[in-house]
Amino acid sequence: MFQITDIPRLLPEILLLVLALLVLGSDIFEKWGRTQEAQLERVRSSASLTAIGLGLIFFIALVQSGYIPFTVVPETAAPNFFINIVRNLQAGGPVGEPITGAFATDHLTMISRLTLIGAALLTSLLCLDYRPTAHPAEFYALILFATLGMCLMAGATELIIAYLAIELTSIPLYILAGYFRNDMRSSEAGMKYFLFGALSSGILLYGMSLTYGFTASALAGNSLGNNLTEFAQIASLARIADNQGILTLGMIFMIAGLGYKLAVVPFHGWSPDVYQGAPTPITAFVSTASKMAGFILLLRLLTTAFPGLTGTAVWGELSGWTSALALLAVLTLIVGNLAALPQTNAKRLLAWSSVAQAGFVLLAFVAWAAPQTFDRDQGTVALLYYLIVYTLTNLGAFGALAAVSMAVGGDEIADLNGLARRNLGLAVLMAICVLSLAGIPPLAGFFAKFYVFMVSWQSGAEWLVVIAVLTTVISLYYYLRLLKAMFMEPPAAETPVTAPPGITAAVVIAAAGLIILGLFPNLILGILSQVQTVAGF
Amino acid sequence: MTNAIPLEAVLMVAAALFCIGLFGALARRNMVSVLMGVELMLNAVNINLVAFWRYLEPGFVVGQTFAIFIITVAAAEAAVGLAMIIAIYRTWLTSNVDNVASMKG
Repeated sequence: MFQITDIPRLLPEILLLVLALLVLGSDIFEKWGRTQEAQLERVRSSASLTAIGLGLIFFIALVQSGYIPFTVVPETAAPNFFINIVRNLQAGGPVGEPITGAFATDHLTMISRLTLIGAALLTSLLCLDYRPTAHPAEFYALILFATLGMCLMAGATELIIAYLAIELTSIPLYILAGYFRNDMRSSEAGMKYFLFGALSSGILLYGMSLTYGFTASALAGNSLGNNLTEFAQIASLARIADNQGILTLGMIFMIAGLGYKLAVVPFHGWSPDVYQGAPTPITAFVSTASKMAGFILLLRLLTTAFPGLTGTAVWGELSGWTSALALLAVLTLIVGNLAALPQTNAKRLLAWSSVAQAGFVLLAFVAWAAPQTFDRDQGTVALLYYLIVYTLTNLGAFGALAAVSMAVGGDEIADLNGLARRNLGLAVLMAICVLSLAGIPPLAGFFAKFYVFMVSWQSGAEWLVVIAVLTTVISLYYYLRLLKAMFMEPPAAETPVTAPPGITAAVVIAAAGLIILGLFPNLILGILSQVQTVAGF
Repeated sequence: MTNAIPLEAVLMVAAALFCIGLFGALARRNMVSVLMGVELMLNAVNINLVAFWRYLEPGFVVGQTFAIFIITVAAAEAAVGLAMIIAIYRTWLTSNVDNVASMKG
């Protein structure tokens, strides 16, 4: 049953919805005009409202989660106004059963929520001085709706909610990718994203319907409630029923459907074009936040609904979903990294690198094949650490690229030539992000990769780690090409490149996060290790 | 009535419809046709859900509810998709998927 005390547990989602409607509504009170200045003014006001609101929601979610030690109020503290607020907020913290069995607010949701809202905040900063659009309020409201969908995706423990959350994420992102509808590339990106997304929804839903059919038939008409699509119910029925074929088929369809959303090879066909054609801040958002939400949903789905089909990824005895994901990871790593090599467009190069990065994330899933619970928990920690670092890195890299392409007018690698002489700060920030993507030691990207390799190795999938390390070496080549263009090539013009303040702020935050998390990973590893036993199986 | 037609027959129809839809979505080159293929796939899913509900647990509403949500979301998705196809047609002057390809590699 839904209780009134469940409302604080949903507070960040409710606030995101309120903020989205507020952004939509507040645009009415702006001064409308057709001139460039008037449009930019409207863009700025909507963007600032979005950024400030997201900052507040981020702060509230942070206090609610109780991860910051000094916000945790001791039991003995005398009640006053602020202490009561904090206590009421933290009553909705990471405790308790899923709300009506459909939406969990555990540590996994809390951490993903913070990352996703943080990613949306950085995206709105990136858009602060981006191209003026005809309808700025809708642009930002769509970002907020998509963020809401992603937060729901991260917490969904039931098939219907999961589907609705995926669509709530996808539909705004289709529109955002094609937002500059008079720009040929943007409209092409939106169209391709939409067609592939709709196709993948169909495949995903077919898998869901088969799974529902399995649970409905398992009890043969003797079910006791409307809980047949809950993940935990699927798992418990899978243990007693013998009709496993339809369940396996449903799981394969669902992995394929989610694979499209996550752009893992061979379901990646849309992603390079969409990432290249979409407005750069939206590319950053799609390639980080929506991927993170998808991976969290995949983790929750596979580990809580299909624990019986986990199998193993050890070479020679491949079975279950871990081996399926291991094969997808190999394909993704090889195709993603090799396809990035010959690219001449920096945005497309980063797009292929994002495809390849998804392969590294899949390595962390293989840890679920390990027999010990400890190793599995390590797999989840490695997955979350990788996703958080990857989110920061890609937002920073695409953000810096957005600044360059706004100033220079293109996003070819040649447009980056001599950036160090035209704007040293921006070049250094972008270099930090690119080196972190490549996995160079002092930065967080190195530790993230190392951790993922370690958990995958411990679960017995040594062959997979060897391939992953080899492809990492290949990836150095194309990441270093970007650095060579920025630091070694002569610039096309000596005029300095100026980055708008919003983009600078976002990229500085991302780069600082990478250095801090790389030098002191324990800052968040303690929090992440609380995500133990997602499933409890 | 549920005895007259076995569940398997209904599921076969849904599976056939799904395959036809998938083939249409992958093989047709006109964007509107692709969209129609996708709608067929979603309808196959709806038939599946409603059949499972009606034959296996008619006392509860999960299958029905799921189907209603899918119909609603599919309508929203089709609205966005058709708008996008119009936008494509205005900038590209074509609605053929193969011709809309400015990015390569």
